[in-house]
Amino acid sequence: MSERVEDSTVDESFEPTQPNTGESYEPVQVFPDDQTMDLRPGADSCTKCSTCDTNCPVAAVDDEFPGPKFQGPEQWRLKQTDEGEEYTIDDSVMDCSNCMRCDDACPSGVPLSQMHNEARGEYVETEMSKFSRTYWRNRLLANYRTSAKVGTAVPRLANAVLNNSAVQWINETVLGITSEREFPDFATQTFREWWADRGGAAASRENARESRERMGDPADADKQVAYFHGCYSNYNTPEVAKAMVRNFEYFGYEIVVPEQRCSGTPMFANGMLSDARRDAEVNVSSFSDLVDQGYDAICSCTSCSMAIRQEYPELFDIDGLDDVSTHTYEAVEYLRAFEDLEGELADATVEFPDLAYHAPCHGRNQGLERQAVELFRELDGVEVEDVGKSCSGISGTYGWKAEKYETSMKIGEEMFEHMDHAEPETGLTECPTCSMQMEHGSGYEIRHPLEVVEAALIE
Amino acid sequence: MGAKSVGTQMASVPHIAVIGGGSTGIGIARDLSMRGLDVTLVEQGNLTHGTTGRMHGLLHSGGRYAVSDQASATECIEENRVLRDIASHCVEMTGGMFVKRPEDTEEYFQKKLSGCEACNIPAAVISGERAREREPYLAKDIDKAISVPDGAVDPFRLVVANAASAQQHGARIETHTEVTDLLVEDGEIVGIEVEHGAKSGERVHGVQSGREEIRADHVVNATGAWAGRIGNMAGLDIEVRPSKGVMTIMNVRQVDTVINRCKPKGDADIIVPHETTAILGTTDEEVEDPADYPEEEWEVDHMIDTLKELVPMLEEARTIRSFWGVRPLYEPPDVGSDDPTDITRDYFLLDHEERDSVQGMTSIVGGKFTTYRMMGEEIADHIVGKFGIDSECRTADVPLPGSDDFSVLRDYMDEFGLRSPIGRRSVERLGSRADEVLKTDEPNPVVCACEGVTRAEVRDAISQAGPDLNATRIRTRASMGNCQGGFCCHRLANELHPEHDEATVRDSWDDLLQERWKGQRHALWGQQLQQAMINYALHATTQNRDQDPATHGSIDFAAFDSGPGTERPSKIATEAADGD
Amino acid sequence: MAIESDVLVVGGGLAGLTSALSAAQAGAHVRLVSYKQSSMRQASGLVDLLGYVGDDAVVDPYDAMDRLHDEHPYRLVGTQTVKEGMALFDDVVDGYSGSHTDTNALLPTHGGTVKPTARYPRSAMEGIASDNRDMLLVGFDTLVDFDAPLAAAHLEAAGAPFAADGVQIPFPGDVRPDAKVTHYAKMLDQDSEVAVSGRKTSAREALAERVEPHLEGHERVGFPAILGDDNTTTVRSTLADALGAAVFEVPMGPPSLPGLRLEDRLYTALDEYGASFEMGNPVIDHESGDAIDHVVVEHTGAPVPYSADQFILATGGLVSKGVTSNRAGVREPVFDCHIPHPGDRYDWFEDGVFDDHEFARFGVDVGPDLRPRDSSGEIEFSNLRAAGATLGGYDFAAEKSGSGVSIATGYEAGRLATEEIA
Repeated sequence: MSERVEDSTVDESFEPTQPNTGESYEPVQVFPDDQTMDLRPGADSCTKCSTCDTNCPVAAVDDEFPGPKFQGPEQWRLKQTDEGEEYTIDDSVMDCSNCMRCDDACPSGVPLSQMHNEARGEYVETEMSKFSRTYWRNRLLANYRTSAKVGTAVPRLANAVLNNSAVQWINETVLGITSEREFPDFATQTFREWWADRGGAAASRENARESRERMGDPADADKQVAYFHGCYSNYNTPEVAKAMVRNFEYFGYEIVVPEQRCSGTPMFANGMLSDARRDAEVNVSSFSDLVDQGYDAICSCTSCSMAIRQEYPELFDIDGLDDVSTHTYEAVEYLRAFEDLEGELADATVEFPDLAYHAPCHGRNQGLERQAVELFRELDGVEVEDVGKSCSGISGTYGWKAEKYETSMKIGEEMFEHMDHAEPETGLTECPTCSMQMEHGSGYEIRHPLEVVEAALIE
Repeated sequence: MGAKSVGTQMASVPHIAVIGGGSTGIGIARDLSMRGLDVTLVEQGNLTHGTTGRMHGLLHSGGRYAVSDQASATECIEENRVLRDIASHCVEMTGGMFVKRPEDTEEYFQKKLSGCEACNIPAAVISGERAREREPYLAKDIDKAISVPDGAVDPFRLVVANAASAQQHGARIETHTEVTDLLVEDGEIVGIEVEHGAKSGERVHGVQSGREEIRADHVVNATGAWAGRIGNMAGLDIEVRPSKGVMTIMNVRQVDTVINRCKPKGDADIIVPHETTAILGTTDEEVEDPADYPEEEWEVDHMIDTLKELVPMLEEARTIRSFWGVRPLYEPPDVGSDDPTDITRDYFLLDHEERDSVQGMTSIVGGKFTTYRMMGEEIADHIVGKFGIDSECRTADVPLPGSDDFSVLRDYMDEFGLRSPIGRRSVERLGSRADEVLKTDEPNPVVCACEGVTRAEVRDAISQAGPDLNATRIRTRASMGNCQGGFCCHRLANELHPEHDEATVRDSWDDLLQERWKGQRHALWGQQLQQAMINYALHATTQNRDQDPATHGSIDFAAFDSGPGTERPSKIATEAADGD
Repeated sequence: MAIESDVLVVGGGLAGLTSALSAAQAGAHVRLVSYKQSSMRQASGLVDLLGYVGDDAVVDPYDAMDRLHDEHPYRLVGTQTVKEGMALFDDVVDGYSGSHTDTNALLPTHGGTVKPTARYPRSAMEGIASDNRDMLLVGFDTLVDFDAPLAAAHLEAAGAPFAADGVQIPFPGDVRPDAKVTHYAKMLDQDSEVAVSGRKTSAREALAERVEPHLEGHERVGFPAILGDDNTTTVRSTLADALGAAVFEVPMGPPSLPGLRLEDRLYTALDEYGASFEMGNPVIDHESGDAIDHVVVEHTGAPVPYSADQFILATGGLVSKGVTSNRAGVREPVFDCHIPHPGDRYDWFEDGVFDDHEFARFGVDVGPDLRPRDSSGEIEFSNLRAAGATLGGYDFAAEKSGSGVSIATGYEAGRLATEEIA
C-alpha cells in the first residue's frame, strides 16, 4: 500500500473510491429461480453514455440486437420481481455473442457481462423449451469437451466423418449447426498424452532446474505454475500447449498439469450456467490446492483465462475461488510481467513467417490487445501487423449456429478485409475460435504467440 | 378543448367551479360530473402540481394508522380495496411489512398487530428469516415483521385518469390557470376570476391565455395547503398548517415490498417501491409558506442514515433526486397541537355558509391521498344536497379510463413490436389504453431509455397535455430515470415539433431542464454528480444550450471564420481514400 | 520485476494521448495505461479551444485567454504553449480543419444552436454557420436525437445567415427503431444492400435517392453524424456526388462517431510513435515517497507493478471518474491528490441548471509546472504531473474549452516530464 500520509482536510472516514470499480454491494439471489441474482443495483453505475453500445460488434451489423446498454443496465432496471407475474427477459439476449467488449469499455463500472450472463441464464432456464432443437444444439456446442473426447479417441475417423457432407447436412438441418464451417481437426496425440509420455511433472522439474542453472537462479527457486490448457490445445492444437511448456521451462518454471474440465466459456455464452458451474467446481478444487502451495495458474487460451479470472467470481461462489482467480494469468502476460521476456526477445532473432495479428475480444478484456504487437516489435525476423480492432465474429459457439452464421461472417468482414490488405499471409491470435474464424475467412494458417516465443528463444 | 358539453337531460344543471387539480379536487370533479353536474376545474400548474405530485406513492393498507387513528385506518383499507378495483393500472400491489428492529419494542409491535385486526386490515406476523426471503436486502438483524396489504400507487397517473373520466362526463379542466380572485356579490361567492397560462402563452391545456370570469353556482376550494390564500380572497380565515416532508428517490428498487419501521411516529420510517425506483420518506416539519420553505441537506442525510438501518445497502446506493411535499394539515382552532405529527390526518369539510355565513363556497382541507375518492364522494353528496338533487355516487364502481379490462390486454404486448420490458412497462402505464396508443404503423423508437417510454406514448401524452413537457413527463415518466433527462430532454422537445412552433418548443425544453435540475440538486454526490456533469457537458458543451443565440441574443456570424476557403473543394470528392 | 518505462501516462483520453504523444515526440519511452474507454466517445468530435468568456462568445480564443483568471490552466501554461499543443494536434491528426486561422468557427449542434469551436472534423466542415449557402438538414425518423425541421427552424431563430430547411425521412432498409448509430454507420461504410420498395439497391444510393426530392436548390445537406466510421470520407463524397451538393455531418451527443474516429486517429498516431499502451486494467495502488516509485496495475485481479521515471495523471474529471465524490467529500482516486472543494456539498452547485456551478471546476490544484499540490500548496510527488479534465479551476462546459485544455496541458505535461529524464 501507499506509504503517503493523507492530508487531513477531508473527513477521515471517507474511503477513496477505487478507480471505476464495480459495485460495492453483494448481489443476492432474489428471483424465483434460485440461481439468479438481483443485479438491479448494478444499474446504479450507468450514466447512459452508450460507450458500451459503440463496442458491440453484433449491434453494428444486426439491428435486431438492441445492444448492451439495453441488454444490461436498462433491462435490469426495468425488471422487477412481481408476485405471480414474471418479468420476462427479452429474447434478444440470445443474440449477444458474449464477446464481453462492452464490459471492458464501460467507463463507469456497470457489470455488463455479468448482467448478460445472468439474464441469459434466466432466459434459458425459464423461457426456453428444454425440448427444443435450439436448446439441445446449444448444449451440444457448449459441451465441446465431451464431443472432443470422443473425437480424439479416433481422430482420423472423426476428422473424416465430421466434415463429411452428409453429416454436415444433418448438422445443419437437424441440429442447426452451420454446414459452412469445417470442423477443426483433432490431433492424433492429445497434449495430455504427450505430457504423460514426456514424463509429466518430474520431467518438467528436471528441465526447469537446467534452465535455472543457465540463468543463475537458485535450484529451488519458487517458480512453479499449474497449466490450464483448456480443451482446444489439448485435443486440437497441442503444439500451442507444448510451446507453453517449453517457454515456461526455459525461464525456469516447473509445470504441473492438474485435472481440469472446460473453463465454461461456451456454456456462459449459451446460458447453460448449471453445466458451467459443475465444471468450474472441478477446476477450482483442482487448482486451489496448488495455488495454496504457491503455484500460479497459467492459461494459453484467452477465453479460459477470462472465464477463471472474471466470470467465475461474478457468477459463482465456490470455496477457494477467489485465490485461484487472482492467481490466474495468460501465459505471455505472465512472462512479460515477471520475467524479462521483452529483453530476451529484443536480443533474439527468429525465422517465422510474417504475421497478421488479431486481438481476441476476451484478450482485450484482460488488457492484452497490444501485447503481441508490442512484444514482437523488437524481435528480428518477424513482422507483426495488427489487423484492427474489430471482433472476429465467431465468439466461440456463436458462429457455429446456422442462424447466426451470417451475422458472424458480417462481423468478421472487417477483419477479413484487413487481413486481405495486410502483407503477411499467416495469422496470429491467442484465441482458438478466433483462429478458426481467421482460417475460415482467409485460408491462412493461424499461429499462437507462444509458438513465436518458442521459435525465438528455444528452437 | 374546454368547450362545455352539458348534459341535455336537464334544462339547467348547477355549475360547480372546483379549484385545485390535486387528488381531492379531481376526485370531486369526477364525482360531480358523473352525477351530471356541470363542472369546471382550474389548476394553477400541472395536474398534481401541489401536494399530490409530491408524495411517496404509498397506497395505505391503513397499517400506519392502526394504532394512532383507527378511523383513518379503517377508511384506508376500504379505499385500498376500491382503488385496486377501479384504478388497477395506477396501482401495484407490492404488499407491505412493518419490520421490527431489536431496539423497537415488542409492546408496540403487538399494538400494531391488534390495531390491524381491529381495523379489519389483513395482517400476519412473519419471522425475520421469512422477511429476508421476501426482501433479501433487509438488514440481517430485523427480528420479525407484520405483513399488510400496502401497495404503491402512481399519483400522476391516478389524477390524470380521474381528469380524463371527468372530461368524458363533460367537465372542463383548465391547467396553468391561476385563481386571481373570488367573485363576491352581495356577500355571496358567485364564481372565480382566473388568469390563464400565466407563463407561456400557447403552452396551456385548454384555453389559450388571458383573464376569464367563471361564474358558478357553487365554488369548491380544494387547494390543500393553498386553501387559506383562496379563503382570504373572500375574507375567510382558513388556518391550514402546512407541514413539509422530504422524499428521496433511489435509482433502483432495493425492495419490492413497502417497508415500514414498526415503531411509533417518527421520521424516515418508510421505503416505498415506486415504478423503477424506491422512495424513502419522510420528515414532518411545520412551515410558514407552502410555496416557499427551505429544502435542507440534513433531511436527505437523515433519510439515508436512518433507513439504512432497515436496508443497509442504501448507504452506498445511488439516489437520483429528492423532493418535498407539503401536507395541508388542518385542525379545528380549539385543538392546538404543537407537534405537526400530532395533527390528525383526517379531513374537514368547511361549509362557509354554516361556518362564516358566506354562501357559495365549500372548502375541503386535510385528508390523505389514499382516501381521496371517499372524500370526493362525501363532498359531492354535500353539494348535491345543497341543490336538492338526488343522485348516487358511482365512482367506486366504474373503473377509471385505462383500468377497464386491463388483465386481458396485458397479453397483447408482443403485438406492439417492443422489447419485452419496454412493452411491459408501457402497458402497465397505459392500462387498457395500450392498444390505441401503442399500435402504430410509424416507427416507434424509445425516447426515454431509462423508463422505457416510446415515441407513441410521448405523442399521446402531448396530444392530451399540450406543449408543456412537464405534463408529458408526469403522464409517461419520461426523463424520470437515472439520467434525469440528460439524454432525453432534447428528444422530448423534438417530439413537440412541428405541432408546436420552435419558440414554444425551446421554452418548454428549458423549463423541463430546469425542473429536472431542481430535484437532482439534492442528490449531487457520487454517481449522480457524475451524471450531472455528463448532462452538463452534453447540454452545454455539445448542444450549447446554455448560450443558445436564439435565446440569449444574436451572435455576430460574420465575425467568425467561414471555413478554410480555397482549401475547400466545391465537392469533397477529391479527398483521398479513407482509412489508415 | 516491474514493467518499465520512462514516462507512464495514466489515462487514455485526449489529455493522456496528447501527453503520451508529446513525450514520445520528445524522445521518451512512453507507456500509456487506460482502464476504460474515454469520454471522447461521448464528445462531439469538435475540438473547442475557448468559446465563451462569461457570456461573451469568443472570436479569437488566443486573444481572449488574457481575460481568464490567473489560475486557469491556459494562464498557467501560457498562450504560446497552447499554440504549440494545437500544432502537435494538427500535426498528428488527419482529417481536421480549422488550423488555417486563429479565429473560431461556428458549427451547428444537434440541438439546433451553433457553437464556437477551433478545430472540426472535415466531415462537419461544410456545415460551418458563417457561410451563407442555404442548408438542408436531414433527420431519420428512427433517430430520436435529431429532428431536422426543428433544428433548421432553430438555426434561423439564432440568426444564421442562410435559409435552413429540414426534413425527416426513413433510413433506407427499414432499420429497427432501436438500431444503434454504429449500425447506420456500418451500413454506409459497407454500402450494404438494402431493399427499397421491393428493389435491391445500395445503402448510399438509396439514401441519396430519398434526399434528392427535398433538395430544392439547397447547396449543402447536413445529416446526423452517422455517415460511416472507417470509410466516412468515401461515404460523404458518394452522397455529395449523387446529390450535387456539399454534404456534412452535424455533430451529435453520445455515442458519437466523430469522437470515435478522433480516438482512433490518436491511437494510430501513438502506435506510429512507437509508444506502448494498454487498455482494460486499472491502476489500483502506488508505492511512493516524495516521488512515485511504481504504480500497481491490476491485471484482471492480479497485481502487477509498473515503474517509470515520470508519471502523468490524465484520468479525466467527474465524467470519467478521475474525480470522485461521496456525501463527505471529493477525491482523486489514483494518487489521492488534493482536490479543493467546499466542505458543505450544498455549496457545490447553484440553483439554476446553467448557473456557475462549483462542481464543474473540481479537479487537482496545480501551478505552472502542472504538478499537483496538496492542501498546503506543497508538491504532492516530484515526478507526477496532471493534465486535462483532472485539473481543477476551469469549467470546460461553460467555456467550451475542454479539448483545448486537454491538448495544451497534455502537451506541456509530456514535454516537462521528458525534460526531467534528459
